[in-house]
Amino acid sequence: MDLKYVGKDIPRVDAYEKVTGTTKYMSDLSFDGMLWGKVLRSIHPHALIKSIDTSKAKALPGVEAVVTWEDVPGLNGFGIAIQDQPVLCKDKVRYAGDAVAAVAAVSKEIAEEAALLIEVEYEVLPVVDDPIRAIEPDSPKVHESGNILLHTEIRKGDIDKGFDEADLIIENTYYASRQEHAFLETEDGIALIEEDGTLTVYAGSHYPHRDQLQLSRCLNMPVEKIRVVSSPVGGAFGGKDELTIQPIMALLALKTGKPVKMVMPREESIISYWKRHPMIMIYRTGVKRDGTLVANDVKVYADTGAYASLGGPILNLALESSCGLYRIPHVHIDGYSVYTNNGISGAFRGFGVPQVTFAMESQMDIIAEKLGLDPIEFRRKNILKKGEVAPIGHHITTDVESEAVLDAMEGSRLWRERERYRGTDKNRPWIKRGVGLALSWQGMGLGVGLPDFGDAVIEMDPDGGFIVRVGCVEIGQGAMTVYAQVAAEALRFPIERIRVVIGDTRNAPDAGPTTASRAAYVGGKAIFLAAEEMNEKIKGYASGMLSVSPDEIEIDDGSAYVKTAKDKRVSYEEISSYAIERGGLPVAEGHFDLPTADKAIEGAFGLPHHIYSCCGQIAAVEVNTLTGQARVTDGAVVVDAGTVINQGGLEGQSEGGFVMGTGYALTEDLIIENGVVKTPNFSTYIIPTSKDMPSSIETIPVTNYESTGPFGAKGIGEIGMVPTAPAVTNAIYDAADIRVFKIPATGERIYELLKQKKGENK
Amino acid sequence: MKDIILKVNGRKYNLRIDESMTLLKVLREELELTGTKEGCGEGECGACTVLMDGKAVNSCLVLACEAEGHDITTIEGLADGELLSDIQEAFIEHQAFQCGFCTPGMIMTIKGFLDENPNPTEDEIEEAIAGNLCRCTGYKPIVAAVKDLVERRGNDGYNR
Ligand code: FES
Ligand code: FES
Repeated sequence: MDLKYVGKDIPRVDAYEKVTGTTKYMSDLSFDGMLWGKVLRSIHPHALIKSIDTSKAKALPGVEAVVTWEDVPGLNGFGIAIQDQPVLCKDKVRYAGDAVAAVAAVSKEIAEEAALLIEVEYEVLPVVDDPIRAIEPDSPKVHESGNILLHTEIRKGDIDKGFDEADLIIENTYYASRQEHAFLETEDGIALIEEDGTLTVYAGSHYPHRDQLQLSRCLNMPVEKIRVVSSPVGGAFGGKDELTIQPIMALLALKTGKPVKMVMPREESIISYWKRHPMIMIYRTGVKRDGTLVANDVKVYADTGAYASLGGPILNLALESSCGLYRIPHVHIDGYSVYTNNGISGAFRGFGVPQVTFAMESQMDIIAEKLGLDPIEFRRKNILKKGEVAPIGHHITTDVESEAVLDAMEGSRLWRERERYRGTDKNRPWIKRGVGLALSWQGMGLGVGLPDFGDAVIEMDPDGGFIVRVGCVEIGQGAMTVYAQVAAEALRFPIERIRVVIGDTRNAPDAGPTTASRAAYVGGKAIFLAAEEMNEKIKGYASGMLSVSPDEIEIDDGSAYVKTAKDKRVSYEEISSYAIERGGLPVAEGHFDLPTADKAIEGAFGLPHHIYSCCGQIAAVEVNTLTGQARVTDGAVVVDAGTVINQGGLEGQSEGGFVMGTGYALTEDLIIENGVVKTPNFSTYIIPTSKDMPSSIETIPVTNYESTGPFGAKGIGEIGMVPTAPAVTNAIYDAADIRVFKIPATGERIYELLKQKKGENK
Repeated sequence: MKDIILKVNGRKYNLRIDESMTLLKVLREELELTGTKEGCGEGECGACTVLMDGKAVNSCLVLACEAEGHDITTIEGLADGELLSDIQEAFIEHQAFQCGFCTPGMIMTIKGFLDENPNPTEDEIEEAIAGNLCRCTGYKPIVAAVKDLVERRGNDGYNR
């Protein structure tokens, strides 16, 4: 098929607004008579609430409302999977940052002052801060029901037999840190009551329709009376998947009848909201002398913090990927997602998989070295292919381009020329250089047993152009551009005259969450289906206008014509006038159900997935052996992308993911001690700057047509950062002969490891 | 409360403001110039960057009163009507943004920098934007956009 828009270098449709500062993010909105909201949060990680006295706050001039749990009209609980997080705490707080009360006042300053006047009496409880200790029966309990949110155990084959067959067994414990999303726009927005009584909530998020549903539960309001607008978003990466400030703003708006705006200060955002789950991962891997993997025993403890949110599904997705994309006959996987008083953990790009990939791909590197095998050869020997049985026991029935990804890694410039990037720097002998790689895979979509669909609507407008409506959101990934490209291609119509409307429950149909790398794939497919229907309608009108049968009509570039007599044609402007005369402009709908596996894995909700993406990365690093500082100098990203819809968008996801992954590998560590956040700003929580950027990142797409996706595309949003950390730590080993078991590999940690190493060598 | 006259994007504004108000707050809340973003409010992210007499500053660290008597330029003042500046064009061409939240501050930093140093090396470009955090792009396309721009300006002597 000759493609005009898909795969072409199309500038982003939101470009003009973004470079001129005219994009209106939810934090940029304001309304007449607007009040400012402020939340009072617990300073204690774990305590009983004895009393809340709001009288002084209420008496402060300029204060228009103070709300507590008593003002929550519906369920005082939210959570995507399990609704165990109070909108405002009633009798107990479970983390330092838990919301207790909120104020609306005429200015931000008065709201802040009033919040401090609220008097809360607490009875402090012992802090639960170690996930392993937390599951012991005598641990203090974060929730009445106990501290285990989810325990999943999966067995395949006979693990003891597997280890008996092994010639080499490698056992290690790995630690992955708590990562902060650090989107540049914090959790901000406005809630207001429209004249007809509708509650409108403007706040950036991944899924307006689910926010609407959750708000309806908390507020005891029908969904039709709630409108949520959640796009465009100033960055999210999973951190705005769960509700944040929406219900509190809504309560204040309902109570005052006025628009209420909230802007999270950076520090409050870091302390109070979602993080990547820290994980402790104990791996025991058995392999034969010839490099055949025979057994893997995996134990994972995920620290989910105070509330459930997506802690369960994240654990299970991690476990599904925990053995890598390898053929391993004997597997035992045992995972716990555990409640603690360590803030709250939730969705984050990669959804649990970066953690286990760090552990598994470190194991792979260690084994390859011990057996004297080339790391790519060793992986190739064990790589899982379509039709084979995955580590958790199901058959892989769709294409996952595992071998092609390995081939492309081998062919990448960085790998071919790796000798150039290795060894000691001649001019600075304290600088050691090395190259490492890692491979990862991840299920796409929400998994088996979960409704996973997308709807899209295409309308012809009165000028013969089109409006495309999809409920997904623009979080920066370029969804709007991809949608415009798919629509233009499928409608065979100029892209400039297609307007994309997304992220608004009133004006766009439900297309599921913009997560799990599914937005381009599901939303794009729904648009494709709607476009097919629209094309049929257009042919119908044209056939009436040109007095031929519909199958004699062809369409292209905004006009419809008779196949055999091309000069007999009508423009879409004419069609739209014709349609209006006959009762209205054409509207078409597309509905797409994401294909899911036909058999579920017992005891592992949501597993398996059906479609997988695969990504391999290579990193070159420099380690300064005097200071311990490591730096990533070059990178290569190979990603199984299906058809590439927008090359710039793909590179953006791959480079952005790689750099975020280097931050995860080297510096990013949201430290919580005794339940208190120690790194609540950008001077203590260090994300990569332009100076940390590698001098090259080569993006190599493996473009196998994914038959279920729009024009053969697949999702790639998440996987871009999944294998980065182990590629970097494996490179550190190659450079300086030290093995990193705990990320981030900060200068301090590397320095310590180098010192230990020296001691051993003496 | 204090009466001040602020000159922003060539226009004068008479304002009565609280002395403790930052330039960022006045721009966003009083003048409704919301192109300038708040990412941290503490001088750590660069999202609030504007030009003061041609020099890039973090507007969250400048009091509005101190900005009196200076020429302030924000992202809204960069394009000439519909005509984008060449920096903005380079950003579009190189997809140097994703969510776009860091973009106005990034562009203003680059504007101030290139006006002072029209022929920077790649290292100097990286250094210049080191105070502007971007969580989406990994910085590569931003640096590429600036490099490309510098080259083009050099070739046709074009400077806007
Ligand atoms: S908002 Fe001014 S530097 Fe971050
Ligand atoms: S484009 Fe999102 S922070 Fe830079």
